[in-house]
Amino acid sequence: MVEAAARRPPASSPSGPLAIRVRRFGEITKEVLRNPTTTIGLVIIASLLLMALMAPIITEANTPDAYQMPRDWGAINEPPGTPGHLLGTTSTGGDVLYGVVWGARTSLRLSVIVVGITMVVGTIMGSIAGFIGGKVDEIIMRLVDVLLAIPELIFALAIAAVLGPSFGNIIFALTVVFWVKYARIIRGQIIHVKHNEYVDSARVIGDSKLNIYRKDVLPNSVTPVVVQATLDMGNIVLVAATLSFIGLAEAGLAEWGVLVSEGQAGISAGRWWASTIPGAMVFLWALAFNLFGDGLRDVLDPRTEGR
Amino acid sequence: MTNLRDDPVGAATRAEERPVITLRGVKKYFPVREGVLQQIVGHVRAVDGVSFEIRQGQTLGLVGESGCGKTTLGRCIAGLTDTTGGGIYFRLSEADRMFLDEMDAVGQDRQTSEQQAKVESIERAHRIDRLKGETWRTYRRNCQFVFQDAFSSLNPRHLVKDIVGRPLRVYKEASGTDLTERVVELLESVGLGRQHLYRYPHQFSGGQRQRISIARALALDPEFIVLDEPTSALDVSVQSQILNLLHKLQQDRGLTYLFITHDLGVVRLMSDEIVVMYVGEVMERAGAQELFASPRHPYTEALLAANPDLLEGDEEAEMRGLEGTVPDPARPPRGCKFHTRCPVATPRCGWEVDDAVAWLSDNSTILEGLGGVERSSDFESVLRFAEPGTAAEAESLLASAAIPDAMRAALVELDQDGPELRIRFEEVDRVRLEDVDVGHMTSCILHTSQADLDSRP
Amino acid sequence: MTAPAAAPLSDKTASRVASVEELRIHFDTKAGRLHAVDGVSFDIFDGESLGLVGETGCGKSVTARSFLRLIPVPPGTYAGGRIHFWSKEARQTGGSPVDLLQVPASQMRDIRGNRIAMIFQDPGKALNPALSIREQVAEVFYQHRSEDLLDGWNGTPPRPIRRAAGQRSGKLEWLAFKVPPLRSPARRLRKRVDDLVGDALAETQIPNPRKIMTSYPHELSGGMKQRVMIAQALACNPDLLIADEPTTALDVTIQARIMELIRELQLRHQTSVLYISHDLSLVRRICDRIAVMYAGRIAEIGQTRHVFHDPLHPYTRGLLAAIPSLAHQRGELAVIDGTVPELIDPQPACRFHTRCSYATDLCGRLDPPLVARPGLRPVACHGYASPDELGVAADQLPRLDRDAP
Ligand SMILES: Nc1ncnc2c1ncn2[C@@H]1O[C@H](COP(=O)(O)OP(=O)(O)O)[C@@H](O)[C@H]1O
Ligand SMILES: Nc1ncnc2c1ncn2[C@@H]1O[C@H](COP(=O)(O)OP(=O)(O)O)[C@@H](O)[C@H]1O
Ligand code: SF4
Ligand code: SF4
Ligand SMILES: [Mg+2]
Ligand SMILES: [Mg+2]
Repeated sequence: MVEAAARRPPASSPSGPLAIRVRRFGEITKEVLRNPTTTIGLVIIASLLLMALMAPIITEANTPDAYQMPRDWGAINEPPGTPGHLLGTTSTGGDVLYGVVWGARTSLRLSVIVVGITMVVGTIMGSIAGFIGGKVDEIIMRLVDVLLAIPELIFALAIAAVLGPSFGNIIFALTVVFWVKYARIIRGQIIHVKHNEYVDSARVIGDSKLNIYRKDVLPNSVTPVVVQATLDMGNIVLVAATLSFIGLAEAGLAEWGVLVSEGQAGISAGRWWASTIPGAMVFLWALAFNLFGDGLRDVLDPRTEGR
Repeated sequence: MTNLRDDPVGAATRAEERPVITLRGVKKYFPVREGVLQQIVGHVRAVDGVSFEIRQGQTLGLVGESGCGKTTLGRCIAGLTDTTGGGIYFRLSEADRMFLDEMDAVGQDRQTSEQQAKVESIERAHRIDRLKGETWRTYRRNCQFVFQDAFSSLNPRHLVKDIVGRPLRVYKEASGTDLTERVVELLESVGLGRQHLYRYPHQFSGGQRQRISIARALALDPEFIVLDEPTSALDVSVQSQILNLLHKLQQDRGLTYLFITHDLGVVRLMSDEIVVMYVGEVMERAGAQELFASPRHPYTEALLAANPDLLEGDEEAEMRGLEGTVPDPARPPRGCKFHTRCPVATPRCGWEVDDAVAWLSDNSTILEGLGGVERSSDFESVLRFAEPGTAAEAESLLASAAIPDAMRAALVELDQDGPELRIRFEEVDRVRLEDVDVGHMTSCILHTSQADLDSRP
Repeated sequence: MTAPAAAPLSDKTASRVASVEELRIHFDTKAGRLHAVDGVSFDIFDGESLGLVGETGCGKSVTARSFLRLIPVPPGTYAGGRIHFWSKEARQTGGSPVDLLQVPASQMRDIRGNRIAMIFQDPGKALNPALSIREQVAEVFYQHRSEDLLDGWNGTPPRPIRRAAGQRSGKLEWLAFKVPPLRSPARRLRKRVDDLVGDALAETQIPNPRKIMTSYPHELSGGMKQRVMIAQALACNPDLLIADEPTTALDVTIQARIMELIRELQLRHQTSVLYISHDLSLVRRICDRIAVMYAGRIAEIGQTRHVFHDPLHPYTRGLLAAIPSLAHQRGELAVIDGTVPELIDPQPACRFHTRCSYATDLCGRLDPPLVARPGLRPVACHGYASPDELGVAADQLPRLDRDAP
């Protein structure tokens, strides 16, 4: 009577729930690493994070505020390779290496805060809209549509105009803008997922709405959000750099966009390093997260996952 | 696999069993929305007044072509979809049902206040959309559902243990190792085992997934299970495993099934009683043997002719199909819903203007010259053509021997007046399901008292 | 593999339309090499309808698609075998067949749709949603029947018209068709196409073909779309029609109509049909012969009546017994234990031995070839071999005559 074996029996049957979850994580990791471009992305991300974490070790932290560029007025416009200023200095005596390393920290802080907040807010709003539906859905989605219609840059400019230029305001502006995307994604996913028969199955056994949301709907809806968050970790740094480049952040901040803006005047005089190196960092950061995010999307795609 | 069942029990003894589920005129309409404003422009009558009861320990087979409302009805019964009209009752006694029927016949305004109070108390105790608290939980536990698509009915991120154990957790019946043991027992009862506890659904074949679904449905030891095409997605050799399993479980646990399928062979094998549906309505209802031995509805006959393997006797019998397509449930035909395809339709079967228009459109090019239709009812309207000549041509076509005899006979008025053509068909009521034998009902007027004797072909 | 060179599979002397020999089609997958079709041989005779039945995944569609070389390569590979095909001329003149797996691409284009036509399970996917029914059916005539389009012309039609009939007109010519002197011949061509398309549709008993011609696929029901597909497939009067589960997506009453229709058209046009289905009771109604397929192999092949009344292969026996029928009691359907084996790098063993209740040790190490033994139709099971044939002791052979345990 028994169908002897599953179509694809696991090679070594794991013994318990923990083992199988670990194994699954291992499988996904292996799958991710199978793709060389994803692996490259992951390696760059790891190096950038390592650099950000070790910032106080690589360079001596500026006091009182480590995120302000230290100024060495005795060494302006030094080219890369100068002893003590490995990557050269800017026209205001800022050490480019310091800017690169602490800029990575700034970027990390920025993207973690913005992505963290927007992902949570977006997921909550999108879930309410998608899972409850009806009037609530309509109201939230109207708001989302309005916010989506405003371009990020213009929105940030407006906020800067009202609150004055500061990096804190950039974070604020990006947070206000970016949650909308997540709300949209998760709502679409939930509306799709909630028509799956496993949701009906949970209703038939009489489980509560909250449990159904928690166990069935949300876990099967978050994949694209995770992918989007990975991509945004990169994109947000790019947008923030643009904003600080046009002067919406405080001058002297150890931030790549600010450095590029400071250094650009020297390019015509052949002093490429002060702007090109931080610019390359922005590019590298955005590229790495995009490479990794794309790879992750392929692996986590529900159509290919687990088949 | 041993057969635990002795000789099939006669239909007469079965009728003594108490009903577990009673349907009284159940309707489910889905709104059809259109345009930017999403305005409701009509309703899909997925289920349109269905009544029957499912008795303790029996299998009621629900059969019909896709889109006829089987799944919708099953979902209504399981409380997954609310109904538009009528009532679904749990453990409604025969006496109470008769009382409710009687009260419906009397009409609400003419009931005495005691009668009204009694109706109210019966409904509160049995009608599933009015159950509250503990009684609702009792129903919820006792009515389970097995879906057609075993892949999408299992959460891909849950382990088998969590899927099958979930009902036990929800009702706090077991936890820890006790839960695991209960799940193992359930898995073993459906032919799986301990080795399957910690696997994901995608690691199983279609048949095994359906076993997991069944194990989950059994977890709360329910009285009644809706099986919505449980084997339609499976290959024959696996289907037979699942069908045998379902039978064994029914024997062991005294389960009551609503078995939904479009496969006549399966429904014949699995059911005690069969209900044949077409476009949201019941066409015929009879004991399984009886329905196959002496069908009393042309639609049932057509289904059988398309599956000649199931007919006694000549095994080389030709298979025969039906012309035409299933009507749009948003605009179902009048009278008998089957009349647009019925090979033996009579003039009293519900011919209407749409039929004439459909016939003209299928058999001529006349309608290209049609300017508009002015409809005063489904049975009467004026077709306005661009040219008087076309109207005359349409008139002669509709009067000719080319159109089906029954339709022509039902045409009581056909008047051409310049470019206008007035057509009027005999107006008829909706057909009713009537008893023709013990436990055998049909809605075909040829088999019931609804037909004029002289209009029989 | 132990399968010997294809033995003559039938004593029938009728001429053949196609002959599949030792066809092997493999797919490269993550898990390994999947032997989807692994040594399949059968003949299709002139004017017959051959049913190819088996459960999901046994390789029916892959076999069918390889006739027209529609297997995606990669991941697929044509790992071996031949598909000989005799066109009408070759059959009449006793000419030699072509090997469909070897013919050049240009010749294959001509064979597709013209000599061999195919209809699929899902007509919705096979029809182009953006083109009207007229355009889709007309396409076939333009592609393969441009001479027919010019039938009945006095003398040679103007060159632009000839080009139009072969769908080779340029933009400028299309403009020229709108004005004299080319306007009236262009109209005439168009009318000719309309007539042919209308006739093709009418043949499939579509009501009011002229009206259907102007509609788009989404406006038609599933049964109607399948009729359009059939009209398209038969428009060129092909030598071989391959129907891959053409009614699986349809309702029973409509399915029965479509099957009648295919049968009727087949008899009228004397087309040979390869009819693929997972449903034995359907195939039984319209096929002259049946080939039962299991896990990439043919298990047995023979006259429909014989296969149904006296199934030889244990798999066929199990399959037939598993169909709910009048003879069954509830709970007593026969079952075939287990599931279909993995097709990845299969061992030399009977593909059915893990599920076969007659299996002996021998079945697990020796692959039974599909051979016709004296007095029997072709079947791939050791139970019909003699000890000498395999060089083993008699007690090692499975004994099929005993009752299933
Ligand atoms: N959620 C829904 N919204 C709108 N129409 C629906 C919905 N569910 C089913 N229907 C319609 O109701 C009819 C009956 O469907 P269903 O009950 O699924 O039929 P069956 O199970 O017999 O194939 C169909 O015409 C279908 O399109
Ligand atoms: N494009 C493909 N890539 C990989 N495997 C394939 C592909 N097409 C078919 N297969 C495999 O070949 C086997 C036979 O498939 P198919 O011929 O479609 O079966 P069926 O008998 O149901 O028509 C299956 O195991 C299927 O997974
Ligand atoms: S009432 Fe009977 S005869 Fe009339 S259309 Fe319906 S099924 Fe046919
Ligand atoms: S008896 Fe042996 S050779 Fe014949 S089908 Fe069974 S396993 Fe295969
Ligand atoms: Mg259904
Ligand atoms: Mg197939």
